[in-house]
Amino acid sequence: MNIFNITLINILLFFCFNSYSHNPENFIISEIEQGILTFENEQIQEEYNSALKRLRIRRLKAMPMHKKFFIFTKSGFEHILPKGLDHILFVLGLFFSCIKFRSLLIHITAFTAAHSITLILAGQGLIQIPPYIVEPLIALSIVWIAVENFLFNYPNKWRPLLIFVFGLLHGLGFASVLNYYGLPKENFISLLLAFNIGVEIGQLTVLIIAFLIVNIILRTNSKNKKIRIPISVLISLIGTYWFIERVYPLL
Amino acid sequence: MKNLFYLSFIFILFACQNKETQSTINSIENPFFQEWNTPFDVPPFNLIKDEHYMPAFEKGMKENIDEIDIIVNNKEKPTFENTIEALERSGKLLTKVQRVFSNLASSNTNPKLQELQRELSPLLSAHYDKISLNEGLFQRVDKIWEEKNNSNLTDEQKKLLDDTRKQFVRSGALLNKEQKEQITSINSKISELTTKFGQNLLAETNGFELILEKKDLDGLSESVIAAAAEAASQKMNKAETEEEKNKYKEKYLFTPHRTSMYPFLTESSRRDLREILYKSYIMRGDNNNETDNKTITAQIAKLRAERANLMGYESHAHFVLEERMLKSPEEVYDLLIKLWEPALDRAKKEVIDMQEVVDAEGKDFKIAAWDWWQYSEKVRKEKYDLDESLIKPYLSLDNALQGVFNTTNKLWGIKFTEIYDVDMYHPDARIWKVEDEDGSHLGIFIGDYFVRSNKRGGAWMSSFKGQSNLDGRERPVVVNVCNFPAPVSDSPSLLSFENLITLFHEFGHAMHGILTNVTYGSMSGTSGPRDFTEFPAQILEHWASEPEVLKTFAIHHETGETIPDDLINKLLNASKFNQGFINTEYLAASLLDMDWHTISYNDDLKDANKFEIESMEKYGLINEIAPRYRSTYFAHIFSGGYSSGYYSYVHSAVLDSDGFEAFKETGNVFDKDLANKLRTHVYEKGSTEEAMDLYVKFRGKKPMIEPLLRVRGLDK
Repeated sequence: MNIFNITLINILLFFCFNSYSHNPENFIISEIEQGILTFENEQIQEEYNSALKRLRIRRLKAMPMHKKFFIFTKSGFEHILPKGLDHILFVLGLFFSCIKFRSLLIHITAFTAAHSITLILAGQGLIQIPPYIVEPLIALSIVWIAVENFLFNYPNKWRPLLIFVFGLLHGLGFASVLNYYGLPKENFISLLLAFNIGVEIGQLTVLIIAFLIVNIILRTNSKNKKIRIPISVLISLIGTYWFIERVYPLL
Repeated sequence: MKNLFYLSFIFILFACQNKETQSTINSIENPFFQEWNTPFDVPPFNLIKDEHYMPAFEKGMKENIDEIDIIVNNKEKPTFENTIEALERSGKLLTKVQRVFSNLASSNTNPKLQELQRELSPLLSAHYDKISLNEGLFQRVDKIWEEKNNSNLTDEQKKLLDDTRKQFVRSGALLNKEQKEQITSINSKISELTTKFGQNLLAETNGFELILEKKDLDGLSESVIAAAAEAASQKMNKAETEEEKNKYKEKYLFTPHRTSMYPFLTESSRRDLREILYKSYIMRGDNNNETDNKTITAQIAKLRAERANLMGYESHAHFVLEERMLKSPEEVYDLLIKLWEPALDRAKKEVIDMQEVVDAEGKDFKIAAWDWWQYSEKVRKEKYDLDESLIKPYLSLDNALQGVFNTTNKLWGIKFTEIYDVDMYHPDARIWKVEDEDGSHLGIFIGDYFVRSNKRGGAWMSSFKGQSNLDGRERPVVVNVCNFPAPVSDSPSLLSFENLITLFHEFGHAMHGILTNVTYGSMSGTSGPRDFTEFPAQILEHWASEPEVLKTFAIHHETGETIPDDLINKLLNASKFNQGFINTEYLAASLLDMDWHTISYNDDLKDANKFEIESMEKYGLINEIAPRYRSTYFAHIFSGGYSSGYYSYVHSAVLDSDGFEAFKETGNVFDKDLANKLRTHVYEKGSTEEAMDLYVKFRGKKPMIEPLLRVRGLDK
């Protein structure tokens, strides 16, 4: 406090006694109107992030609709590939659990429908669950899907329902990302839709890549236990690691 | 198995990517040493790093000195072109870095910049001293000045020549060696004393504490009590001894800081405690202890008088005012005295109003200075009741900006377009390009409105780039920095009426910086005398509170409803509240300032208290009011830059009220013809002509005080 006072006075004196006409004009007019600086380092980052969000919203507001739609689709896609590793693992878990294409389709549809619901609800602020609860649960859902893959040979009939519930969780995860970026009120629904479309395209891409690697490069299929079991073990280990990391962030 | 190995490898690679690796920024070239190929010459904020400033300052100062040497050593006969214009062209790099630095050190600072600021301040003042005390340079300037009348210089050039020479003369260029030494010695004594004055004042303000118990809190509101409890608990946490801790434990702390004192004086029903706190405030620097300022005050005044005498002026006020819009102490006194009578009359009426409340309460005392806040508040509630929180929803920042853009658009046809693809120094800093009526580029306006922890408090205007027509048309980059509340989650930032006025005020400064159109950069924009440069800012405030204008942008952010007339009336009425007191305390301080700085060098050293009492008695100040600042804590004039300049606030107010009156007289606050005059004679002209001449060209006559009296409700 003291030192800032003295600095302020010094600046004042500097401007007052500096009387050479070619000294660049008084840059800062009415010095006296400036108050004292209270420097609170820990707040700066937080303020910066909210300011960034405001900037994004301002920029979006000024864009034509098709550009906004494209940006949200792109950002939805990016939150699967490459940023959404946990969702990738979950989708891969589904991929390696399904023997038939049809059941894969059912599982993926259940997942998609569920996360769209929570994404919309949370996006509108109708439900709010803090990330420290959602994030560890998402990690657990990954572990569960993978564990099921190597413990039980055939998924039971309740599985689509379970996946639906997990999908609700993942939707909350997407919502917190979207909330961090900010959604302009004017085009709320259409941009939410755009984001969701991006997420679906991302998911499909993951599935296609996985299919190509397994079926074309490795010349086998997802039923092959030699691939399915080790990968499921790996997925569950990573999921467990995330779970611990998210419950005890300081470890 | 091999396949599996690859697959897991890919997996692990993915997993690792989760932790983002930060690429280290390798040392790029210093952007200050390069051409800025940025849109509209906005500084390339994304490229400027803290470590670029110092090398740029060093090189900038060196280049500047080299340029001055070339001018001084020029074998040719001194001419306006090879001396004054050459000076004008010098110091480009220094200006470039200094503008960016001084702006960001205030609006987006960090410990590194703070440190640099402390380091640079003495270096820069030494640098400018080197130039302003350069005898060879003065000789050349003086030569050109002597032949001024035989030359074919334009009026603008003549003014620049006069101003340049005057700066040298005022730095002591015409004095002999012995006199110069005397000046230097006086300057260093004054500087020591002003620093001591400031330190003493700080110690005195922090030195008094009113520590209260629960039973002493009668009348105080919850928020005031909470703040006082917080202040005490902070003290307790900082205390080192057990004894000191107990002193603050579960207590309530009030201090002579205004933010602590005013709420107490307003709310506390304990008259005895109000008196104690009030007296602690007005006795700062007057306690006959080691931090007493009485002698220092008198010494500073006397040394200033001596310095003025050496320079050939009658008094310090004469020396200062030579460069102002009001040219002499006589003109300043004339203005102050004219306002004094109506203000004092009104204040006396306010005392009577308050005494009525006291009597009605059945209390038996006469209103004293420490009762003023409490009883004026009671009168306010009765006569002017206005709930500020009702106004805010109508004043979202975006609406207010739209309001100020529309106002300037209606006045001068200029247009603002926000741009988004330019990198700024902070995401809250917004940027607009400004176009003239004919579509030509006028400048860039940056608005940085929200409060944040690495920004200085208050509000100001500044520029990142100046205007000049010397080497082609160069248009300015101007910035407004404010401390409005940041929006909470999804709701917009809502301004108070005071914030709105600040927004218009700073925008007025910005217009002065953007509309300016002069040849020489050093005379552009806001470079004029301080008692004039507030005028373009303050006159714009009037449009904000003009009902016709207010209604165009004060739209409720939720309901979309326009601000109701009833609320506007209350708002405008409230601005007339307590004006007797506000003006009297301010004018008393201004008169005190003038009295201190018109003393003669051969007067005896004054007794500060006696001097102040005699001075105030002379004007007839009433006991219920003290000057806004008494001598021993008048930091504006004894440690800041406002000596014989405290009057300038009211002088600017006279100008803006009278200036806006001109619009009222036409019956149209957007009168095209008058707006054009205001633009061409005031906003465009910078300091290329005498300030009063500019004003008269716009107004058609000299300013009158009556419009101000009406605005402040002092006319009845």
